[in-house]
Amino acid sequence: MQRKSGPSKVTKMAVSLSAIMLLSACASGDGEATASGEATAPAAGAACTVKVGVAGSQTGGLAYIDVPNLEGFELWAEQVNAAGGVDGKFTIETVVKDTRSDAAQSATVAAELVAEEISILITPGDADPSIAAGQLAQDAGIAAVSWFGSSPILPLAVGDHMFSNAFGDNTQAKVLADHATEMGYKNAYTLGSPDSAYTNLLPGYFKEAFEANGGKVVGEGTFSMGQASFSVIVDEIKALSPAPDVIMTPAYEPDFPTFIKALRGAGITAAVLGTDGIDSPTTLALADIAEGVTYTTAGVLKNEGAMSTFFTDYNGKYGKDPETIYAVTGYELGLTLDAVVKQAQSCDADAIWQAWSNLEGAQGITGAISYKGGDRMAIREVALVEIKNSERSLVGTFSPDPATVPKAQL
Amino acid sequence: MDALISYLVNVISLGGTYALLALGLAVIFSVLGLINFAHGELMTLTGYVLLAGILTGQPFWLAVFVAVIAGGISAALMEFAAFRPVRNASGATLLMTSFAVSMLLQVLFQNGISPRGQAVPVPTWLTTSLSIGNSQISKVQIMSITVGVLALLALKFFFDRSYWGWAIRAAADDFEIVGLMGVKASRLISFAFLLSGLLAGVAGVLWVIQRGSVDPLMGFKPVLAAFIVAVIGGLGSLTGAVAGGFILSAIEIALQTWLPPNVMPYRDAITYTIVVIILSIFPNGIFGKRTQEKV
Repeated sequence: MQRKSGPSKVTKMAVSLSAIMLLSACASGDGEATASGEATAPAAGAACTVKVGVAGSQTGGLAYIDVPNLEGFELWAEQVNAAGGVDGKFTIETVVKDTRSDAAQSATVAAELVAEEISILITPGDADPSIAAGQLAQDAGIAAVSWFGSSPILPLAVGDHMFSNAFGDNTQAKVLADHATEMGYKNAYTLGSPDSAYTNLLPGYFKEAFEANGGKVVGEGTFSMGQASFSVIVDEIKALSPAPDVIMTPAYEPDFPTFIKALRGAGITAAVLGTDGIDSPTTLALADIAEGVTYTTAGVLKNEGAMSTFFTDYNGKYGKDPETIYAVTGYELGLTLDAVVKQAQSCDADAIWQAWSNLEGAQGITGAISYKGGDRMAIREVALVEIKNSERSLVGTFSPDPATVPKAQL
Repeated sequence: MDALISYLVNVISLGGTYALLALGLAVIFSVLGLINFAHGELMTLTGYVLLAGILTGQPFWLAVFVAVIAGGISAALMEFAAFRPVRNASGATLLMTSFAVSMLLQVLFQNGISPRGQAVPVPTWLTTSLSIGNSQISKVQIMSITVGVLALLALKFFFDRSYWGWAIRAAADDFEIVGLMGVKASRLISFAFLLSGLLAGVAGVLWVIQRGSVDPLMGFKPVLAAFIVAVIGGLGSLTGAVAGGFILSAIEIALQTWLPPNVMPYRDAITYTIVVIILSIFPNGIFGKRTQEKV
């Protein structure tokens, strides 16, 4: 009896908590709707504070992307404020709240931040929680920017105030498809997962672009994120006729290491193409197993060239080298905001949104970043990287013609 | 024939891991009436200790041994620090405590180590495969099956032949009677946690070697699967935990192998529907005891 009654009490408690959270989220959101736009409204050009609300995942499954992005952004904010602010007068104030990698919590946190009269909202590096948070910013007339959520459905699902610091998944899929074609691969296998927009839609974008190039997708597999074993999928690939000469997957940690270990363990030597989610030391540490894996990302994380100053500054603040490119993209989001505020000459949420919409050629570390004329995903170069001797090696950087990029699927 | 061999290999290797995990849960449930949802974090901890051992240049077997022992000791410490103070509280309090411990450990791993997964380099001899007939079977799977079967046989020997094994089996039947027969409850509970931690350790090592990385949230999915396994087998039934492990594995692998591609995204939903059907036929699990409610 005790065992039976326990979970039912827990369930009741969970339902009550959810209801309270939902109500508080709605209450905060309503309160903000009337307050936005009037938050910081000194005359254009006068000194003021740009209040940046960060609804990011400090814990949970998205912390691996949001934490380094925040570190990069805070480094930029510290440097800018030390120099007197953007243009010497617009100081940056960052308010950070943890969304715990949860869509409902993202909405709650976003509502709280919007109520604090922020100038701009930063949302998690994934579409699903960003949609939840972005809708509140949209209603309040505040621009929202995802750390690096790359699903192009994100701005479509939310509205004209939602942006992403990332290139679209359709764009990176096009780069991968063109590379596969250039390498002479004819038959591809794709492996996706219905568990997120990122893992669900990327294989479809790749298929569309690869088949438009004359290739053929001979098999399409699916996995559950965090599933115990990939043996069955590997058996399925082994049984395919014709055998694929390239395998494309948006799987990332911890699924990508599991998959490629099973794949190589079974003796399958087909080329493997991945996406920006695997740009991490974990992939490099797979040593021989990951040799030759080629993937799209924002840039090559190496302490050289344009990135060496960033490495020095990051190390000075955090006492370690950046582990992933997401630290750089976070800093670049700061550089983008820098260009936007210079353009807007204001801390007003509406002025910042308009300047963001019309931004052209902001200088990031990995290249120029624009939004004008796009679909509110960042218009930026896609780097193609191959793992050689457990190190990142640049194959090239690409900006596909938008007319040839698969259309975003909502 | 090849497909059948592949199927059986996949079922046994996954089922063995599920069985070890579910046994860990069942042992605790036997003595405390608690499903310990922090069991998954013991696996994660084992993974980090294994990684530390490998990175500090220890021989692979030593790193594995230390990792498994660390799982056992951590579980005993967990019982002492978190569950002993609330031992006599309601089932809901114990359950909430297990969630709290689970969350606390996840956040500690994230902030103390890294929110990102860490690759666990395993010896290269484990990354290749063997040919059996026309089938190729990876050495990780062969190791998984061997360790899983040996661990289950060792457990059977332990439960059949040792004092504490008898005590835990008896506690699974009736905890109060065991106390009346002179077995100290505190010791029995501590020992059950130690054993549960060792089982989490073995399962954790198998899981990490198969997956190639360890991350702060690694334990969630396996403990959920183990919970389902324990329910299918009958909560508290040690035999049921083993049987449930192989049943769930057989269902999952069969669906993954033979489901049409367009239905594949619904695989988890179909798996749980089958579990519900099994439970509607066996409300207390396949090996569960019938409970009678007194009005």
